[in-house]
Amino acid sequence: MKYLFRFIIFITILFYGCSRRFPEKINIARNSFVLLNQDSSNVNFPFDYKGKILVATFIYTNCPDICPMTTYNMQQVQKKLEQKNINNVQFAAISFDPIRDTPSILKDYASIRGMNLNNFSFLTGNKKSIYSLIKNFNFLVLPGDTTQVGTNPVYFFTHADKIYLIDQQGRIRNEYRGSKLDKNKLLSDIKYLED
Amino acid sequence: MILLFSMLTLFSIHSQKVTVRHAWLRPANKGMNSALYFEVRNNSEKPETLFNVTSNIAGMIQLHESYMEKGMMKMRMVPFIVIKPHSTFVFKEGSYHIMLILLKKDLKPGSKEIFFLHFKNENNLKVIAIVGKN
Ligand SMILES: [Cu+2]
Repeated sequence: MKYLFRFIIFITILFYGCSRRFPEKINIARNSFVLLNQDSSNVNFPFDYKGKILVATFIYTNCPDICPMTTYNMQQVQKKLEQKNINNVQFAAISFDPIRDTPSILKDYASIRGMNLNNFSFLTGNKKSIYSLIKNFNFLVLPGDTTQVGTNPVYFFTHADKIYLIDQQGRIRNEYRGSKLDKNKLLSDIKYLED
Repeated sequence: MILLFSMLTLFSIHSQKVTVRHAWLRPANKGMNSALYFEVRNNSEKPETLFNVTSNIAGMIQLHESYMEKGMMKMRMVPFIVIKPHSTFVFKEGSYHIMLILLKKDLKPGSKEIFFLHFKNENNLKVIAIVGKN
């Protein structure tokens, strides 16, 4: 009886461990939104990514400290995958500040960082689409107070710190701390989805 | 003579009460924002206060702190930073930083910019920071 009890606990832990690796969090492929990339080309998000693994995050380019860390972490993962010849992965950084983050601003943000845009897109869009998308991801963002510097309004956002792993069917399978990304965890999760 | 002079120079660097190293800033485009990071060491017996940083490359410069609260990343202004005697205060990513708002020029990786650190006791300190990759 005692052994049976132990066995049940063992099995429970085993199964919990397996399911914990990839809980299917949210299916974001239920609605698709027309967004614009850094070249002002239309991107149907997430429909255009169907059949590919997608690593996505939300940023704003006026962010001085946290978002550049997240972007850089994704850039590092992109490089690692390139070295390992894993080609079925796309990256997207979606702006939650679409009013200021026009495609050309996104393009400048990418180019000053020497980003490889072959499989990495910076996306923006109309406010309504962006906010609906953010809601679908359960990503939290709040605008802060606006201060005036000369004639320029200056404001920042309070925002969550996340990178999402989305599978080939458009389902969020895991999420990570964006600015303090566990790159090895993300890489091993990508490999798991690949197989 | 040259040797003596260089030794004196070396000595004067080491005898400075406040020193800064590893100063770097983020790449960013004109009109956008960046952040400056460095390690500041107080070699004296007394606490030292950093209360301002100036430069002509930004429309506004503030001492800031990024922090996490209930899963959200937030940022707040801090009026000054106290560096304890014989210790180092580190401005680093995701934490304390010097906020550079409304840049007047592009900051390209590898380029250098000049800043002045303003202390309560010590003279202003000139710092040359290099623009990093991220
Ligand atoms: Cu700041």
